[in-house]
Amino acid sequence: MNRREFLHGMSRGAAGLSALGMTGAWASPARAAVAPSDQIRLGVIGPGNRGKDMMRHFLRVPGVHVAALCDIYEPRFAEGRRVTGESTPVYTDYRRMLEGAHELDAVLIATPLDRHAEHVLGCLDAGLHVYGEKAMAFTVEECDAVVRAVRNSGRRYQVGHQYRYAPWYRQAVERIGRGEIGKVTHIYAYWHRNFNWRRPIPDPSLERLINWRLYHEYSGGLLAELGSHHLDLANWIFDEMPHSAQGSGGIDFYKDGREVLDNIQVLFDYPSGGTLFFSSITGNHRAGFQIQIYGTGGTVELTLQDGFFYYEPKRANSAVPSDSTDEGVVTTPSLSTSSDMPYRGPGLPIEVPAEESADPSFLSAKAFVDSLRQESRPFADEEVGWSSAVPMILGNQAIRSGNRVDFRDMAGVSSGS
Amino acid sequence: MGTSFEIRLYAESSDLATQQLALAFAEIERVEAALSHYRPTSEISRINVAAPSGPVTTDPEVFSLLARGRALSVRSDGAFDLTLGQLVKKWGFLRGEGRMPSSVEILEARSQSGWQHLELRPSERSVRFLRAGLTLDLSSVGKGYALDRAASVLRSQGVVTALLGGGQSSYVAVGSPPGESGWLVTISSTSEDEGVVSQVRLHDAALSTSGALGKFFELDGRRYGHILDPRTGWPVETLAQVSVVASDGELSDTLATTFVVLGADSAPPLARELGVRVLFVDEAGGAPGLTKIDWPPEWAVERVRSPAVESPQ
Repeated sequence: MNRREFLHGMSRGAAGLSALGMTGAWASPARAAVAPSDQIRLGVIGPGNRGKDMMRHFLRVPGVHVAALCDIYEPRFAEGRRVTGESTPVYTDYRRMLEGAHELDAVLIATPLDRHAEHVLGCLDAGLHVYGEKAMAFTVEECDAVVRAVRNSGRRYQVGHQYRYAPWYRQAVERIGRGEIGKVTHIYAYWHRNFNWRRPIPDPSLERLINWRLYHEYSGGLLAELGSHHLDLANWIFDEMPHSAQGSGGIDFYKDGREVLDNIQVLFDYPSGGTLFFSSITGNHRAGFQIQIYGTGGTVELTLQDGFFYYEPKRANSAVPSDSTDEGVVTTPSLSTSSDMPYRGPGLPIEVPAEESADPSFLSAKAFVDSLRQESRPFADEEVGWSSAVPMILGNQAIRSGNRVDFRDMAGVSSGS
Repeated sequence: MGTSFEIRLYAESSDLATQQLALAFAEIERVEAALSHYRPTSEISRINVAAPSGPVTTDPEVFSLLARGRALSVRSDGAFDLTLGQLVKKWGFLRGEGRMPSSVEILEARSQSGWQHLELRPSERSVRFLRAGLTLDLSSVGKGYALDRAASVLRSQGVVTALLGGGQSSYVAVGSPPGESGWLVTISSTSEDEGVVSQVRLHDAALSTSGALGKFFELDGRRYGHILDPRTGWPVETLAQVSVVASDGELSDTLATTFVVLGADSAPPLARELGVRVLFVDEAGGAPGLTKIDWPPEWAVERVRSPAVESPQ
């Protein structure tokens, strides 16, 4: 079952495919594509840390103008205006901002996870294209609603899985697809930090507003904020979605009143036999962000900035040596053992041509703008977003319940909270 | 930038300090990710690759940094230049300790350098290289700017007392430690025998120290330092160390490099125009000779044996 089939099947179980209007035919955009020379007027909902960072990347794309900033936390306005370098109009209510939707083309949404669906749906309803930060939404129903709204609106939706645009990721996935490391069966992915994930607050009343990531009411915790990138990569490599998850975790480092776990370990099983193991801990940084993709012929290691290929040692595949009987052998002082010590040598770096190299977030922003101008579908479209968000939600359910959650049995799955 | 950063701050609790430090270091990392020419994914690397072919739009932050850098090139008559990437590479100072390039290499690198060939269009925020091979190198500004931004983050978090340092050559002070007139920053002579030459009290200001002997190689008994004179394409002749105290780290960083190039005789007009304090430490004659421009007398130390020389008015 590939990703698209799973999407259909899952939606049938969860909410009804026909109700979602997922007929496979994309609605035609009601608004003409933006001409390449035209300015893209971007509204921003949530110019916090990630929002400001994405604004900078969007402002590096020719013709993009940030025309509105919206946040319920007013100190963000000055910060956002510093990024835009001008007195950008500001709003404390996104609905007020959308009243002026005719002066916008698209919206960047970088709000807390529990607000994603509301903001995405509001923007689509106002006729605007959306770049929505990951994860797509907070619950399975909300994810379905976003997909339905995107398809009915004819607007573009791109999810903030920026590594889909990282050249070393794309090259790795392509080479893996060509069989360069054999059959890929396991992906071990880490995002380890040595930090409590807590932001300072100027006033205790702002704790939940600023540290929303730490509370179940707004957050999917480490699996949503960090692991959904890894889930997306595994989906991409396996070309399907996982069908079950089991996991564990705890609040073992920081017993400070937080609700979300400060370490998780999750196993996702894929229908064709693949496995994704994701680990996130917050008390040790050594592993950092890394993804080990294990194939029968080699390993690919991906990081935030680069990637490496490693190849398995060649093993005997014939009882009779075919090339040494006639020509003899050459003696050398080399020694190769077959012990189980880990390989500590260098890998073969993934070479990225200089002209293709850039920050993945910039490449992601540029691709979104290109999709508006060229009337093309984003690579990280709503399907990609849905396919990582839903397993993330169900993975969290598996962690909390301590049980294996089978995604094929959608009955009873109503919320990711 | 590839350097180490340190931050000291006063906070109500260790937990709060940890959170504030994390924000500040994240800001430094963000700036480095944008400005480092070592990183192929940085914004500067992207500009270096694409700007020879046509205008490259960038964000307001990077554009204004480049614009201020270019403006200093104009004001300093070319003593400061952000486009020396090829020269730095040819002289072996990009990642190593330096090497003597051939005269052909220097000639070639000089033809691929020069702020005059950096076209900036404010209306589009675009950067374009008018000369093939031009390469931006923001190492003379990145550290100070990163410290400024991190200090700004700390201030926005209510921090009123902090000292931020980069590679022991750039410091940005927020307020002063309790009961002190400023953060104490000691300026040492590069000559091991001579020790401390000044003790600065830094309050809501920045200090940068630059000197050719920070990185150099020797050939035929002569030392070649890593600071290049954009006007000649060669390492600066002087081995003087320069410290600059300015309102922010970007200014102190860029001017420290500029004044090493200009030398003590040519620096005063620009220093006074920009309202900065400068200390030249010249050890060519053995004991350090100090040249001061608006350098407060209370920052002097008694250990220096040679008499301090006031700069010409």
